[in-house]
Amino acid sequence: MNTDTPVIEVQNLVRRYGRHDAVNGLSLTVSAGKCYGFFGRNGAGKTTTIKCLLNLLRPDAGGVRVFGLDPRKNEVAVKSRLAYVPDMVAFYPWMTVRDTLQYLASFRTTWNRDLEADLLKRFQLDADQKTAGLSKGQRTQLALIGAICPEPELLVLDEPTSGLDPIVRREFIETVIGAYQSGDPGRRTVFVSTHLIAEFEGLIDEFTIIEQGRELLTMNADAARDRFKKIRARFPQIVKLDLTGALNVKRSGREVEILANGNSEALLAELKSRSPEELSTESLTLEEIFVASDVLKKAHA
Amino acid sequence: MVLQIDFKSGTPVYLQLVDQVRHAAASGGLRTGEPLPGIRPLAEELRVNRNTIAKAYAELESQGVIETLPGKGCFLKQVNSPLTKSARNDLLVQEIDRAVVAAHHLQIRDDELLALVQKRLDAFERKNKTANDSKPLP
Repeated sequence: MNTDTPVIEVQNLVRRYGRHDAVNGLSLTVSAGKCYGFFGRNGAGKTTTIKCLLNLLRPDAGGVRVFGLDPRKNEVAVKSRLAYVPDMVAFYPWMTVRDTLQYLASFRTTWNRDLEADLLKRFQLDADQKTAGLSKGQRTQLALIGAICPEPELLVLDEPTSGLDPIVRREFIETVIGAYQSGDPGRRTVFVSTHLIAEFEGLIDEFTIIEQGRELLTMNADAARDRFKKIRARFPQIVKLDLTGALNVKRSGREVEILANGNSEALLAELKSRSPEELSTESLTLEEIFVASDVLKKAHA
Repeated sequence: MVLQIDFKSGTPVYLQLVDQVRHAAASGGLRTGEPLPGIRPLAEELRVNRNTIAKAYAELESQGVIETLPGKGCFLKQVNSPLTKSARNDLLVQEIDRAVVAAHHLQIRDDELLALVQKRLDAFERKNKTANDSKPLP
């Protein structure tokens, strides 16, 4: 495979359920070796998009390509190179943990047995237990083992950590970073949809925020943290400020809190010219950017 | 050497790591020949992308702060920077300019700034001494 070929390419994807547009003209590109965040509110179209990538749903218009291939025409070629952890994990209840992994392995050309043993130990899963008796956290852990052991080039995670306790969530992410990513870094791509953004913050290279089936914002994570800033200032007395261009302004007496979208220099200059008693700037985290994108949307409207 | 990151600082994560390793090297938190944490354990601990750690280490290596021994990991190099004196000065001037600008915004007078610099130099000297003598401060 040409390394320049994007791992995922979504172009003007449209998918309707009846008259409801779940995804309405979405485009995004994920290059190899990246960890790509796919953020959106409940019902924004995240899962629908992912199901189109996996050929579990057919697009109504536009198209998706995975490894440069059409998942509808090359289903096996695509699926053999990726693994998917859905938000609701289901296994055959009569199988044990060991049976389940063996069953999953039977579909794969590669299966890392050492890694499987390591992860079972790490998660303290009993290989002889029936999957029916597993907790939600243990099911997700089992699904993650099943997804990582084939050493796929692409790991698709759909709300993987929702409903899990903080310790299981932490272990989950550490496993993605450690066991999955360290294999062959240039060819380990992660596509993760989530609204628990803070946990994945350090992992995300690039992200897309989707809103009502459309792309609202696509950015590199470092660039986004550089662009969106929260500026706080306190003045000796109440002053009039010209804050046009600020994304959002909150005032409380002599204090003001401003959300800047790429124009923090100009806003800072304006604040400084009024001799503030105190002035501080911090970057927004990705989660705060996601929340702020709601304001952004209203500004566009 | 304990590394930590702050997503709100406005500095890209890999540069935060570069700064902290250089700081540790300057203050005796990391000594010549001592190993840096491995990429994978550090990535897991900080819960950041392993590419971020790799990028930070590559940057440190290109700055001549650390060296990578294949199969053994990264180690702090002897402090004899490969950069010329003037190139090193230029790098430092950028850092000083940042502090000067910050001091201006925080309304700290020039003499106060200079006093502060002296104080920090003293603090680092003390830390280095303790690191070398490994004796507690009086």
